[in-house]
Amino acid sequence: MEFTFLFSQFMSGLTYGLMLFLVASGLSLIFGVMNILNFAHATLWLIGAYICFTFWSLMEAYQFALWVSIPLAALATAAFGWVCEVVLIKRIYKRELHEQLLITYAMALIFGDLIKIIWGPTDRLIVRPSIIQKPLHLFGAPIDSYFIFVILIGFAVAVGLWWFLKYTKYGHIVKAAVFSREMVGALGIPIPKIYTWVFTLGIFIAGLAGGVQSAIGSVTLGMDTNIIIQAFCVVVIGGFGSLMGTLVGSLIVGEVFSFAILYWPDGAMVLIFVITAAILIIRPWGLFGTPLRA
Amino acid sequence: MEKKNNLFKKHMLPLVLFVIALILPLVVPEFWVHVFNEILILGLFAAAFNLIFGYMGQLSFGQAAYYGIGAYTTGLLMVKLQWPLFLCLPFSMITAGIGALILGYFCVKLRGIYFAILTMAFGQLVFFIIFQWYSFTGGDNGLQGINPPLWLFKANAYYYFSLTVVTIGMVLLYFITESPFGYTLKAIRDNTERTEFIGINVQRYMLINFVISGMFCGLAGALWGPFNRSVAPDLCSWQHSGHPVFMAVMGGPYHFLGPMIGSVIFTFLNAFVTGFTEYWPLVSGVVMILVVLLMPGGLLGIIKSKGYFSPGNVGDVKNER
Repeated sequence: MEFTFLFSQFMSGLTYGLMLFLVASGLSLIFGVMNILNFAHATLWLIGAYICFTFWSLMEAYQFALWVSIPLAALATAAFGWVCEVVLIKRIYKRELHEQLLITYAMALIFGDLIKIIWGPTDRLIVRPSIIQKPLHLFGAPIDSYFIFVILIGFAVAVGLWWFLKYTKYGHIVKAAVFSREMVGALGIPIPKIYTWVFTLGIFIAGLAGGVQSAIGSVTLGMDTNIIIQAFCVVVIGGFGSLMGTLVGSLIVGEVFSFAILYWPDGAMVLIFVITAAILIIRPWGLFGTPLRA
Repeated sequence: MEKKNNLFKKHMLPLVLFVIALILPLVVPEFWVHVFNEILILGLFAAAFNLIFGYMGQLSFGQAAYYGIGAYTTGLLMVKLQWPLFLCLPFSMITAGIGALILGYFCVKLRGIYFAILTMAFGQLVFFIIFQWYSFTGGDNGLQGINPPLWLFKANAYYYFSLTVVTIGMVLLYFITESPFGYTLKAIRDNTERTEFIGINVQRYMLINFVISGMFCGLAGALWGPFNRSVAPDLCSWQHSGHPVFMAVMGGPYHFLGPMIGSVIFTFLNAFVTGFTEYWPLVSGVVMILVVLLMPGGLLGIIKSKGYFSPGNVGDVKNER
């Protein structure tokens, strides 16, 4: 294997890993704060991708169409997520684990079909603006120039979330809520409001990720099922509620997948599940998580 | 006299259901016989799942793995080695049980959400192994031509065969849940720490239960192959693992017959809805949300709380919710 080949494989693994990070960070945030495992997270990500396609097709003639569509898609998806939270998720805060799982699982089923009804079964493809049509040459290896953009967005979101959690008042509240919701509530902070905005923030990131994804390849039905399972693996490996863990977990899954598929294509997914299961057995709270509540 | 009356009351529901199950295929068209058959098989699957969920208080989101192992064992034995069906069934229970023993060994170390995720991860592991191992399992093509013996070829014949096997399975499950072992499980569900303090090896009981549940899931899966004439890797997917969860919640997880009742509603609804629309996931999702929001405790839970009759009570603590 020559270096350039391995390098381009590494870059595509990095891109894939950061895309997973964008999906998994919202999933992990929502679980950490609200203790709700959102099965519908990747379906909302896919909705973001389709919404981005729709915005793009409205402005198809312009070069800037894609760059405007991505933030618009993120906002639209976040608005939809906000509605879901207020209408449905609010009712199940105090319910048992299986009831919460069934509700978000039902949401995934419903949204999957809504996508089919609204956008139909045909694949959707965004024609990229000319600036990212040609590959970039890094160390002699041809790299898809859009990958650079995806990687930058991924790291930007990671830094943004880190800054939000570390330096803002609301970030501190969110971090406190991960640690002990009861205490935060006792301090007079309206927990339901925090929940609503944490959920909306998580879905915003998912929508953003969907928008970014829509220009990587064609957008197809059922893309979400693989991503949700891998995002679960990521948060299990990294640890629920840990931002650093989610980032490291995504990079592990992305790179392992990207290289395993070279040497043992059939076993790439199996390998990821083996890693996930091993982490769950040895450290159920993940690499960077802390063993808090069961 | 009163005791006898109580006994009758306790067993009335299963008896009535059994009699209905005996008579119905004689009076309905063949399509509905297939639906009834599906109800029986999925009902056994859900009842086996409920051993972990309703009785032991842990949510497994990967029982389809053992269902799939059972289905593939029977499928492979019948297609590749031409084994007779009645030998395949117990053998499928054994392979599914071995699978549950190996994977369950790790699962029972965890509780709550971690238990759910690990069972799901293992379920997906089994799914991808079956999905990718073309030479052995046929990959995403599945296995075709799993034909039942000639005397079971007609819809009615196979239905009565399923009814016999499922009835035996349900009776065995009932005896297990009513045994001291079953009561220990309920104790683990209601208070794990206290159960441990009175000297019970909780993990070992959970593992044994996991294996029993896996074996009966495997039995249900083994019935599915010859019924459908084929098996596909989808049988092991996490979406398929969601079905018994939904059935148990809908029927009432804290009653022995709850999952079977849930299977009746779910499978009927499926057959009815898919008759005129392709949007079954949408409909089932809406029903799922309504069931969780409007009838916690499931159908039997609601009937029980209104005091109509006592449908084989599982335990009292959780019923009072």
